[in-house]
Amino acid sequence: MNYKIVLTGKLLDDTSLEGAIESLATMFRIPSEKAEKTFARAPITIKKSVDEATGKKYKMALAKKGIECTLEVLEQRVLAEDVVQPDTSVTASVQNEQLVEGVATDSPISSVAAVSPENTANSQHEEFKHDNADPLLGYQFQFEGRPDYGFVTVKIPADETLKVEASAMATMDTNIKMKTKLGGGFSRFLTGESLFINEYTAEGGQGEVGIAPASPGDIGHMFLNDETIYLQNSAYVASTAGVEVETKWQGLTKGFFSGENLFLIRCKGKGDLWFNTYGAMIELDVDDGYVVDTGNIVAFTEGLEYSISKVGGYKSLFFSGEGFVCRFSGKGKIWLQTRGVDAFASWVHPFRPVKNKG
Amino acid sequence: MQIELMHQPGNTAAKIILAENEICTTEAGAMIATSNNMDVTTTTHKKQSRGILKAAKRLLSGESFFINHFEPKGGPGELWLGANLAGDMMTYDLDNESLIVQGGSFVACEHQVEIDLGWQGFKSLFSGESIFWLNLKGNGKVLLNSFGAIYPIEVDGEMIVDSGHIVAFNETLDFSITKAGKSWLHSFLGGEGLVCKFEGKGTVWCQSHNPGSFGSSLTSGLKPRKA
Amino acid sequence: MKSEIRGGKAFSYVDIELQPDEVLVAEPDTMSSMDASIDLTAGFNGGFFRGLLRKFLGGESLFISYFKNETKQGRKITLTQNTPGEIRCVELKGNSMCFQPGAFIAMTEGVKLGLKWAGLVSFIAREGLFKLEVSGNGKVWYGAYGALIDKEIDGEYIIDTSHIVAYEPGIKLKLQLAGGIFSSFFGGEGLVTRVEGKGKVVVQTRSISGLTSWINPKLY
Repeated sequence: MNYKIVLTGKLLDDTSLEGAIESLATMFRIPSEKAEKTFARAPITIKKSVDEATGKKYKMALAKKGIECTLEVLEQRVLAEDVVQPDTSVTASVQNEQLVEGVATDSPISSVAAVSPENTANSQHEEFKHDNADPLLGYQFQFEGRPDYGFVTVKIPADETLKVEASAMATMDTNIKMKTKLGGGFSRFLTGESLFINEYTAEGGQGEVGIAPASPGDIGHMFLNDETIYLQNSAYVASTAGVEVETKWQGLTKGFFSGENLFLIRCKGKGDLWFNTYGAMIELDVDDGYVVDTGNIVAFTEGLEYSISKVGGYKSLFFSGEGFVCRFSGKGKIWLQTRGVDAFASWVHPFRPVKNKG
Repeated sequence: MQIELMHQPGNTAAKIILAENEICTTEAGAMIATSNNMDVTTTTHKKQSRGILKAAKRLLSGESFFINHFEPKGGPGELWLGANLAGDMMTYDLDNESLIVQGGSFVACEHQVEIDLGWQGFKSLFSGESIFWLNLKGNGKVLLNSFGAIYPIEVDGEMIVDSGHIVAFNETLDFSITKAGKSWLHSFLGGEGLVCKFEGKGTVWCQSHNPGSFGSSLTSGLKPRKA
Repeated sequence: MKSEIRGGKAFSYVDIELQPDEVLVAEPDTMSSMDASIDLTAGFNGGFFRGLLRKFLGGESLFISYFKNETKQGRKITLTQNTPGEIRCVELKGNSMCFQPGAFIAMTEGVKLGLKWAGLVSFIAREGLFKLEVSGNGKVWYGAYGALIDKEIDGEYIIDTSHIVAYEPGIKLKLQLAGGIFSSFFGGEGLVTRVEGKGKVVVQTRSISGLTSWINPKLY
C-alpha cells in the first residue's frame, strides 16, 4: 500500500512558523522561500508513494520539528506539481563545487540520511534522519563527507549491537564495547575479505560509533524490509541485528573466471544496511539488460539475472582493459561505482616498496 | 556524441549518448557500463595494427596504447566512462587545432579526432618519468580526466606549473623546464625540483593534485613488490 | 593576502594572491602553479637543529618554503596537499592549535610554528615524539586525507588514532586498546586514542593506513 504525506500546516507545541520553515527547508534541501510557499499552500502533499514505514519515519521526524502532518492512502492520481521536490538545480551534474558543498557536513540535519534505496545513489536526494523511537524503523544515523569521503555516525540504542566491517571504526563513545566475531567463516575468507566483523554494543545507554570505510568514495544506506540485496564483497560497511549477512559462493563459472573477484555478499532480513563504493555511486534502473564492468558493480537487487562474459572479441579480452563484464538481464536496480579497484591497484604498483632479496 | 559529466569533481564519471553510427574512441579500461547494444573493438592508436605482440611491446615502452571503439548497433546507445584515479573530468571541443594532453589524462574522443603519440616536446626533459604525451588534432569532442579538480590558467606572459600538475595545454604555448624561483638549490630544497614554465598566450589546464606525491605518501603502507 | 579554498572537500586546493612583499610560508612540494615572478627560497624551519627535530621526531620535513612576491603587483600562487581531501584555513588570534604530522600546509608570516613534546605514547602510535603547534596571529592552512569533521569534546571520546588531524590545546590524548586483547588485535582496530578534556578535535573521514590496508590484499 502506498501512502502520501500531507503537511497540514498546523504547528505543534510552540513552534514558530519561521522555525518550521527553516526546518522544512533544511530537511528537504529546498530554499526557504520554497518552504515558505509550501506552508502557505498547506494542506499540501509533500511526499507521495511511500510505504507505511517510511511514511511513519517522515511523520515522526517532522513532528519532532514541530510540524504536523498526516499519512494518507495514496489516491491514484496525485498532481505532480503538488509535490515539493528537493532542489534539483544542484542534483544532476555539472556544478562541481556547489555539489560538494551541497552535501555540507556540519549541521546534523543537512547531512541527513536517505531513507530508501532510491535515494542513496543520487547524493542530492538525501532526505532526513529518522528517529528511532521504534526500533523496527532502524537506527538513527548521520552522513558526513559525502559524496567523496562518506562517513556515517550511527547512534546505537542502549544495549543494542551494530555489526561493522573490521577496522572501519573511526570514532566512538566511551561506553561502546567492541567485540570481534568470526563473520561469515571460511567462505568469507575465500573472498579475500578480512575474516572479521566487529560488533559494537552500547552498554548502559545510547552511544555513537563513527564509521569510515577504507576506500575513498560514497556511502549509502538502505532499510531492508524483508528484502534481499546482493553486495560486491568489499561494499559491506555495517548492518543492524535483523540483517543476515552471508557470502554467496559464486560457483566457478561465474566468479572464478571473472578474474575480478566478483564475490557477492547476500544481505537479507529486516534492518539497516550501510554499504560503500569506491568512487561515486551511480544508480541504474535496468529494464532491458545492461553491461557492466565487473569491477564497477556495487550492488544489485534480487531478481536480476547475470552472467559473466567478455566484452568483445578475444583481442578485446586481453587488450581492451575491460576483461570480463557482467551482463544483467531482467528487471531491477544496479548500483555502480565510478572507479574500479583494479585500476588503482595497478596505478599504485610503482609506488610499492621493493622487497629486499633474501 | 553527447557527453554529460556526473558527480563532479571528486569521482567524475561521463555518461555518453551515442547515436547510431557514431563511434566513441576511449582509453582502454575506461568503460564502467554500457547499454546492451554496444559493439566494442580494440585497436592500437594507429588503425593499421601491426600484430598484437609488437603492439604490446610498444605499449610497455609507453609509445603506444590500446584504445577501444564503441559503436551502438540498431539504435542509439549509452556508455559510462570512468578513470583510473579519483578526480574530475573536462570536455574540450577541438576546432581544427591541436591540444597537448598528458597521456594519463586522456579518456575518450570522437572517432575522427586524430591521436598522435609522436609528440616529443617534453621527452628528454622528463626522462625517467613514465609520462607520455598525446597530441590530439582535428575537429571533435575530447574527454579528459585529472587527479583532483581541474583549473585552467590563462597564460598571458609567464606562468609556472609543477610538472605533476599538467593535464593539457594549447599547442600555441611555449614551454621550458626550469626552476621555481631564482635559485636551483632552493627550488630543490623547497621540494619543487623541476617545474614547467609556460610562455605566450593560451590555456594550461592544471590538476589540483599531484599523483606522484600522493603515490609516494602511500609507499610506507603498501605491500612490497618483487621488482 | 587574499585566499580562497576551492575544489570542494574532495580535492581542496588554495588560491592565494600575494600582495607586494608578502611572504607565504609553506611545506615543501605544496606549490602546484604560480606566477613566474614569485620567488621561492627554502630554509630550515626555526634553525637547523629544530629542523632536524621536526623531521625525525615530529614527522615533518626538514626544510620549509618561503614564497615571496617581489613585484609591485598582486601575484597568484596555488597550493595543494599531497593527498586528496579537504583543506581548511584557521585564523589565529593569539590562540594555538596542535596538528598531527602531515596536516600542516602553509601559514602567513605572523604565525609561529612550534614543537611540543607529545609523549611516548604518541611515538608508539607512530605519530612522532613531538607534535606541531601553531600559535600567534595569522592564517594557517591545514588539511588531511578525506573530509574533515569537527567533534566538540567535553569529557571523553574515542577516536581511531589514524583519523585525528588537529585539536585544540585543551585536549589530551591517551592511547588505549580498542577492545579486549583479542578483539584489538584481530578486529583491525588495534590502538585507539582516548581524547579527554574540553575543546575541538578535527577528524578525517578517511585514513591513509585504511586506504593501504584496503588495497594491499588486492596487490600481488
